[in-house]
Amino acid sequence: MVSVLAVERLPSMRAVPSDEALAAAFAAKERWAFDEAFTRFRTLLYSTAYHVLENAEDAQDCVQDALARVWRSPDAYARSRGALRSFLTVCVRNEAITRLRAKMRRRRMEERVATQPHEHAELGVVDVIERDRLRAALRALPEDQRRPLELAYFHYKTHVEIAQELNEPLGTIKSRIALGLRKLGAALGANP
Amino acid sequence: MTDHLGELAALYALGILDPDERQSAEAHLAHCDACRRLLAQAEADVTAMVAAQPQLKPPAPPVRWNLRALAVAAAIVVALLPSGYLLEENLAMHRTMLADSAAIDRVMSTPHRTAAFSGTDAHVMYGKDGSWYVIVVRGVAAPLHVMWPHDGTSTMLGTAVPHGDVALLYLPQSHRMQQLALEVNGHVVGQAQLVF
Repeated sequence: MVSVLAVERLPSMRAVPSDEALAAAFAAKERWAFDEAFTRFRTLLYSTAYHVLENAEDAQDCVQDALARVWRSPDAYARSRGALRSFLTVCVRNEAITRLRAKMRRRRMEERVATQPHEHAELGVVDVIERDRLRAALRALPEDQRRPLELAYFHYKTHVEIAQELNEPLGTIKSRIALGLRKLGAALGANP
Repeated sequence: MTDHLGELAALYALGILDPDERQSAEAHLAHCDACRRLLAQAEADVTAMVAAQPQLKPPAPPVRWNLRALAVAAAIVVALLPSGYLLEENLAMHRTMLADSAAIDRVMSTPHRTAAFSGTDAHVMYGKDGSWYVIVVRGVAAPLHVMWPHDGTSTMLGTAVPHGDVALLYLPQSHRMQQLALEVNGHVVGQAQLVF
């Protein structure tokens, strides 16, 4: 049996789509949008996964699996969810945290930090300056918002664990994390 | 969850909800525009945090395969590509196969067929019941998308990432696919007709 495959092709010459056009095409499951999103956000998504997993191979696996899952899921992304860049970043980060938690069940955090060298030499050079952008913004938050947010972002603790560690009511912790995150996002120029 | 997300949007975006809470939040998000907007803001805030950390250049594509893909790919490599180049990898894959008996059982217990992709050095081995497919491509440098053309459209099934000059992809599926195509950068580079 021979038949002609009606497969959509990318135009050989095309303008670089805007983030909005890319998001609309991604939501509509146009295949070129998957390639374009992967290319456009690759560094951000890889960095997102690496900062959680601290292993290059695991980080790449994580990005690939997270994107494949999003693409295969019929309703995973809609324009009403906001920026595609943010949506994918959070998907990858959540996937990375899930993987890290599974890994941590087998190995304690202290051992991991002590035995795993950084695979990115650039971290040694830019770390102080670049990480300070986040650290500096965090330092500007009130202590009662900064601490729970740090435990959530850098230590991947659940809100229940954070409430226990800080000996505060759960509702208080939720409020402080939400408030701290919004202030921090505003300070760092976040745009939905 | 019938209540709006409220502060949980921030926890969702930070990835610190329990699985049950996360599932409830997703169910609510499916029909609440207001909460989707709230979450979009929280996700943008988290993304701003990530972007304020060092941005790292991704290395070459990963070599690692999941266990099942490795096991099945090993069987396929033995069947289709008995080349000296792959000998060492075959041995490594063989060890993995021993640790993943489910994949071996599946391949061994399902009658299978092979088909060639026209236009490229690629083959697909597939179960006659349509329950699994393995695509093997040789002489490639870039990742290839494996597409399923059907009903006037084409669905991407996965990406075969080269390891050396060989790209492999294992696809567990639940249906019989009459056609498959390979794409690079949006262009079809090979097509295969499958018979069941």
